[in-house]
Amino acid sequence: MKGYHDIAGDGGSRVLEQVVEQRARITDGLAGVRHLVAVGSGKGGVGKSTLTLHLAGALRARGLRVAILDADFNGPSQARMAGVQGALFVPGSHKVALPRTANGIGVFSMGSLVPESEALDFESTAQGESHTWRATREFALLGEILGSFEWGTLDLLMFDLPPGAERTVQYADFLGPRASFVLVTIPSEVSLGVVARSVAALSKGPNRVLGYVENMSGYYCRDCNAVKPLFASGESPGLGIPCLGTVPFDPELARHCDRGIPLEDLPGTPVGRALDHVAQQLLDSLP
Amino acid sequence: MKFLCVPCDSPMKLQSVGPPERGSLSVVYSCPDCGYEMAMLTNAYETQLVQSLGVRIGPAPSGVEGPRVEAAASGSKCPFSAMIPGNEGAAERPPGEPIPVRWTAAAEARLANIPEFVRPMARTGIEKFAQKRGALAVDEEILDAARDFFGM
Repeated sequence: MKGYHDIAGDGGSRVLEQVVEQRARITDGLAGVRHLVAVGSGKGGVGKSTLTLHLAGALRARGLRVAILDADFNGPSQARMAGVQGALFVPGSHKVALPRTANGIGVFSMGSLVPESEALDFESTAQGESHTWRATREFALLGEILGSFEWGTLDLLMFDLPPGAERTVQYADFLGPRASFVLVTIPSEVSLGVVARSVAALSKGPNRVLGYVENMSGYYCRDCNAVKPLFASGESPGLGIPCLGTVPFDPELARHCDRGIPLEDLPGTPVGRALDHVAQQLLDSLP
Repeated sequence: MKFLCVPCDSPMKLQSVGPPERGSLSVVYSCPDCGYEMAMLTNAYETQLVQSLGVRIGPAPSGVEGPRVEAAASGSKCPFSAMIPGNEGAAERPPGEPIPVRWTAAAEARLANIPEFVRPMARTGIEKFAQKRGALAVDEEILDAARDFFGM
């Protein structure tokens, strides 16, 4: 009797064939993208999205072509922060044009589609069992987005990842070895511990981990024009990967992010200079 | 998943995908040698698994379009369209309701190229854009103007 591998094709269901076609559409859609950079952490609330947006801004200021894909479908924040909440999705000749910020950064975020008063929902035939299929569906959605938007010619496509060490690895698997990772932590042992798990998990795969950024490394007091401690200082155990830089917290920057408007004087502040340094380190570490 | 007709030792071929009922699909296979038919009846979890992959069971859309697993399961053609609040039936207008802005065939063709989960929102937004410009129809010129206007 024949076995599975003795039979060519699948008898007409085309399920596997379509999955392969989806991957081909993604590859085709990203053909003009030089670097895929995923900004993750494992830990939530460490400023991945803020850092992604402002690193993209620093890279854009250097003349690079940059886009952001907000991969946190359940908690999208790039639409608000980048000021594209009301973006219109316009069909091009074959794909959807990508909304852009005023300074020319392409941004896809589910926050442009789903109001903040609503949760992202999927219809299901298996009600109450979403833990069995939800991740699969979200990755199918990611594939649909990658394959159907006009990413064009980019120097960097940055992925703003959701929290969770296991999610970080799932994105590494999905994006493939082309994707490099930047991990974000804050100077707390709890955060470092979680990010260390992401480092350990990513180390088992082929993806390059460019390094980590210590965010909220002190806060910038505009009155004093000085950076002051935010967390208790102590000996950091490190993460065993390069530190791309430290970025202080700036309450004014956070306020502007909430309103979706750029902070005009950012480049001249310690925060802006820190972001610029991280951007350079990031560029230097790319393959 | 593949099916083998054991007496003939021949791979069975998909014949039809029946309309899903309460989350169950009926996928009929037959043996090309002896003609024996069998049906695979999925439970809701199995249907959902295929649906979550964003694929259809059956022949490619060129030619006669086979039933889509997600279509029957959700009542929508796209596995993602229903997740956008307000998208449900947004592209369809009740009979008799005047169409505010007409779409040319070329513009419709461009709209058809984009994912269904974005389409209703794009249609509504572009119609509003056209109305603000005093246009009676959405054509490729309006689409290009919208792209320029939104800095794309």
